Amino acid sequence: MSLTVVLVVGWALWTDNRNGFHLARRHVIHFLMATSTTASVALPTVTHLFDDFRADLDDHNDRRERLIKASRDITNLSKKTIFLLHRLALEQPAADDQNPGKRAAQQGYEKLREVQNIYSKLQSELVGDRFWRYQRQVSPGLQEYIEALSFAHYLEHGTLIPFDEVQKTLMDSEGVEQYVPLSVSDYLLGLSDLTGELMRFAISGISRRGGRAKAVEVCAFVRGCKADFERMSPYIRDLRKKQIVTAQSLEKIEDAAYAIAVRSSEYDLPPELLDDIVAQSISNYGGVLRQSAGHRKTGDLSDDEDGDMM
Amino acid sequence: MADKNQSKGGPSYVQVVTLIFPSPTSREIFGRQTFLSTTRTLEKMDSDQVEKINGLLERDVELRENIKDQVNELDKKTRTMVGLLNKIHSTPPDALPALLESVRPTLLSCRDVTGALSTIIPPNQFWRWKDMWSNSMRTAVFAAALIEYLSNRALLSLSQAAELLGIKEEFSDRMTLPVEDYLHSLISLVNELSRLAVNAVTLGNFEEPIRISMFVKDLFAGFSMLNLKNDTLRRRYDSLKYDIKKIEEVVYDVSLRKLASPSPRPS
Repeated sequence: MSLTVVLVVGWALWTDNRNGFHLARRHVIHFLMATSTTASVALPTVTHLFDDFRADLDDHNDRRERLIKASRDITNLSKKTIFLLHRLALEQPAADDQNPGKRAAQQGYEKLREVQNIYSKLQSELVGDRFWRYQRQVSPGLQEYIEALSFAHYLEHGTLIPFDEVQKTLMDSEGVEQYVPLSVSDYLLGLSDLTGELMRFAISGISRRGGRAKAVEVCAFVRGCKADFERMSPYIRDLRKKQIVTAQSLEKIEDAAYAIAVRSSEYDLPPELLDDIVAQSISNYGGVLRQSAGHRKTGDLSDDEDGDMM
Repeated sequence: MADKNQSKGGPSYVQVVTLIFPSPTSREIFGRQTFLSTTRTLEKMDSDQVEKINGLLERDVELRENIKDQVNELDKKTRTMVGLLNKIHSTPPDALPALLESVRPTLLSCRDVTGALSTIIPPNQFWRWKDMWSNSMRTAVFAAALIEYLSNRALLSLSQAAELLGIKEEFSDRMTLPVEDYLHSLISLVNELSRLAVNAVTLGNFEEPIRISMFVKDLFAGFSMLNLKNDTLRRRYDSLKYDIKKIEEVVYDVSLRKLASPSPRPS
């Protein structure tokens, strides 16, 4: 018998990395189970034990899969919300609209209600100690959601959304049961992603009327955020990485703000002409950023641009 | 000057020219108010927010340090146990019970650590922190399973393991023994037993490999029932067949040379 086992194990080894793996493994299992039942009395208890383990592991893996899928849906919806907010923010506001940011934010909140619905259905999957068990599966979606939510909040209020307010959106209507507990790290990492969106918002809006003032405002805001996060980054490993991205975003906005400051201070130009100049600067900006990761190239760039204009 | 006449109107040729060739006079207005200086300071996070979050973060740091202390304690114990248990490879069967007895007090003292951890870990946060100790805990369970096998030739069940280590049912949201960690310990057990099969023969104990072989085959059959995903447990499970092969080779050698007594199987 031992010889056959050696052979079968050898065969299992050989088939291991091949397509027939599952089939082969099943054969080995049947074989071993058949030989073991005759050979040993200890087996029933072992099989019984492992039956339970299988149920336990299957339950865990299935839940994990469900949460990964849900998290992906949430990420998608949140990304769409962010695009929607960018589009709305770029729209020319109606003349009578006092607070166009608020109008955009309202539509964003509306869209995010779909995400909140998904979370409400996940409540039982994340109850008790489960949230931390599946935190790694849940976090990416949660952070994307916080990014979208905080972007909408920024457009409406011009501030960072507070921790409790984020948690409030993830609770039932009575505000008693949490769909999902909010962790400080998810909150901060979601906000850290916001700075990237604000960079896009500032730079793509820069050619609009009032866009330059907005860009400078965003610049100061992102700088403040970065300073706030800096204090907290020693505690959260991923935040340290994201701070680097935030620094890059900030630099892009700063370079844009620099261009504005130089033009608007040196020349007494009417806004329309300034718009043209800045628009051109922005369109070249992207290419240079891609080449050199956005390091202090704007100075050279504006020289080239002047040359072109001649 | 043409310059002055034009400045009242819209954009002009002259203005574009001045843009390209800045004149000294244009620099004089540089000190004038710019966009930058008109920006008001905006709120980022307000200060109680910052305080609150920093408070939460610092609490976690403190928690982590407390856990780390306990894990260090556990590590000391597991190192002692593994060190002692390493002697099974050179201990004759009749001296084995005494050796196993000498490990038991250290094993039972792990209860202090699990008890302490169950009070340190906040409710529902078991999975948040478990990575800090899962390796040490797996080693402790491995030691317990090895002692159980060598004493009673039986598989230490998950609940027995939890009981030995003082992990109580009511701790479950703060301190528990997950199936995955238990299974890791069993794989370590098989790794160790495959070594023991070889060394037992060296010591002249020819029955041991056969008993080990049967025990390990049962375990392997059990593992084969699991649907493992591609993780370390799966990789370690895949490596089990090498241990089985090694044990089988020893059994093969012993059997062919008729070194083992005719009916080595325990009743």
